[in-house]
Amino acid sequence: MNFLCYIGPGAGFAVMGSFLIFFGALLLGMLILLSLPFRLLAALFRRGPHGRFRRCVVMGLDGMDPRRARRLMEAGRLPNFKALAGQGSFSPLGSTCPPISPVAWSTFSTGVNPGKHGIYDFLTRDFNSYLPELSSTRLVKDRKGRPETVLLRKSQPFWKALGERGVPCTVLRVPLTYPPEPFRGRALSAMCAPDLRGTQGEFTLFEEDGAAGSFTGGRRIRVSRQDGLVRCALPGPTLDGHTLEASLEVKWKAGNNLKARLLAGGAPVRLRVGEYTPWISLTFRQGRRRVRGIARFLPLALEPRFRLYVTPVNIDPGHPAMPVAWPASFSVYLSRLIGPYATLGLAEDTWGLTAGVLSDEQFERQTLDIHRERERMFFEALRLTRRGVLVCVFDITDRMQHMFMRRMEEEPVSTDPAADARIDATYELCDAMLGRLRRRLGRRDLLLVLSDHGFTTFRRCVHVNAWLREQGYLVEKEQTEGTSDYFAHVDWSRTRAYSFGLAGVYLNLRGREAQGIVESGAQADALKRELAAKLAELNDSATGERAVRTVYDGAAVYTGPYTQRAPDLVVGWHSGYRHSWDTAVGGTAGAVFSDNDSKWCGDHCVDRLEVPGVLFSNRRLVFGAGGPHLADVAPTLLKLWNLPVPGYMDGNGWQLEGKSNV
Amino acid sequence: MFEPKIKVNKALYDLLVKQADEKGYSSVEEYVTHVLETAVADAGEHATEEEIRERLRGLGYLK
Repeated sequence: MNFLCYIGPGAGFAVMGSFLIFFGALLLGMLILLSLPFRLLAALFRRGPHGRFRRCVVMGLDGMDPRRARRLMEAGRLPNFKALAGQGSFSPLGSTCPPISPVAWSTFSTGVNPGKHGIYDFLTRDFNSYLPELSSTRLVKDRKGRPETVLLRKSQPFWKALGERGVPCTVLRVPLTYPPEPFRGRALSAMCAPDLRGTQGEFTLFEEDGAAGSFTGGRRIRVSRQDGLVRCALPGPTLDGHTLEASLEVKWKAGNNLKARLLAGGAPVRLRVGEYTPWISLTFRQGRRRVRGIARFLPLALEPRFRLYVTPVNIDPGHPAMPVAWPASFSVYLSRLIGPYATLGLAEDTWGLTAGVLSDEQFERQTLDIHRERERMFFEALRLTRRGVLVCVFDITDRMQHMFMRRMEEEPVSTDPAADARIDATYELCDAMLGRLRRRLGRRDLLLVLSDHGFTTFRRCVHVNAWLREQGYLVEKEQTEGTSDYFAHVDWSRTRAYSFGLAGVYLNLRGREAQGIVESGAQADALKRELAAKLAELNDSATGERAVRTVYDGAAVYTGPYTQRAPDLVVGWHSGYRHSWDTAVGGTAGAVFSDNDSKWCGDHCVDRLEVPGVLFSNRRLVFGAGGPHLADVAPTLLKLWNLPVPGYMDGNGWQLEGKSNV
Repeated sequence: MFEPKIKVNKALYDLLVKQADEKGYSSVEEYVTHVLETAVADAGEHATEEEIRERLRGLGYLK
């Protein structure tokens, strides 16, 4: 009996296909094996320059203040910092003018003054519309209309030069590294990296029976329950005018006031009132579009009124909707090592605390958790760095001082000892981390611990635009309505000077500003002198104190190709004073002086001499006549690897004690 | 990674290198980019007040 059967070509393709994959893999394996000696030889030649040290580790502690550090060291509360100071160097570190993080860290990265990296504040302005906008990045559209984020910090970070010469560099969370720049090394972005919605960090509060609306840094969404079930939608990114959402369900049993279950697309998550969840992976959908993000949930209450806090939705480092690292896979690699972690630039939700949604303890818990993530990341990177440079910036010192610094260091008695104790505990936490780091370093490792600025209190707001208005330099339109923010009330045809951001005063200069009326040259110089003299005399009648320590002429303190965007004057405030919240966003209405009644009670946007940063090292360093400055770090690291310092850098390389050079 | 490149003649390139160094740029690419950005600055799209407010939302230093 004969059987006839038909064998289609599909089976043949399947068999041959699997053989092709097998042979392909075999061939690739053989190629890798055969080329190994050549690759090893090439790596030997590519090894790059030999440095004076095997590894250079830079631990940045944003906002660490040398006066507080010294006091706590003398009290025996920072034994590791004290030991480090005894072993090497401890000094105040000169900061930038103004001493604001994006400005200061940009100078740290590039070794140049702001005139050469172009960052003068958190904000810059549009010369046409006068609108204050983020100074670090700009959204542009490519030929196909797709949005693209461009980094506005100019010049070159030192790790680019080191990487090009074969020095391995890992750079973690240094401010103003978003979007990530290509270089021969690895970097994870930080300050000014947005959340998934494109803001600088917007929390969400789901609230039963509450009024829907906005906080300054958050969004309140009204929800209702049915039989112990709340269904809601968490807003995500907006694409082409459509907001993508993630569906959420919270269930709990009647009478159970403490525990609930959250359904957010994946496995159910246990909720417990007053406790943060771990990072939860969320998928935001709109039709066929999907974007992934991560957030943490904090149930504030289930009964009698349901309240659920959600952190800003961070870009998921394991499945980044936008690259937050260079190479892009580096954020994924880190998430495999340590699990999901915060990717938002200013990740700690200060507005959640300011708005009264989070308690002091809940804010501190969140800040500590983020710090632990960063610490794990740092020590993993240290473990993997056998040779080269590792830089990591920790933000906990900055955020805790912003929210709890109610006493100036020179004041003996605190009005809020609990707040003061939180800051001291933060310094002790960093000391313990330093101890763990020092135990992992060897004799051939250099350690630098530094901060971008120190800290002081922020008690009195100075509304510079209101002062300019009172003095006749800023003129409002005859008929105004609504908020005065973003210069909505300003008559530019009669305005000679204006202010926004956290330090600068700007002339309405003809040829630079679209409606400028001040002639550059003699007229502008005379106006600057006049304004500087009057500002220097500015007296706070409520306290009897002078508010201004020094007024800096932008033309005198900045040099370089980007000075056109620089403030014409920089106000160096005395401790306790700062640009008001209204002036910062271009508001013009209101009184000149007012109390700062915000929870944001500490700051550093004052005269740079009031808030120097701090420098520790495990080697004795010799500095120039003016003492060490942030701009010196980049040239110092280049010299350590025997690389020439480019002529455009403004900093001076430090010397090792007893050596002719570093 | 695969960004477009523009060709210039050698004499102009040498002049650009010299000027970039004198003016404090970190590279000739940075200098040329700045010159070109300045030239086309007004042609680009400008963000609206609402877009700017959204992007700044949540920055602790600003209300």
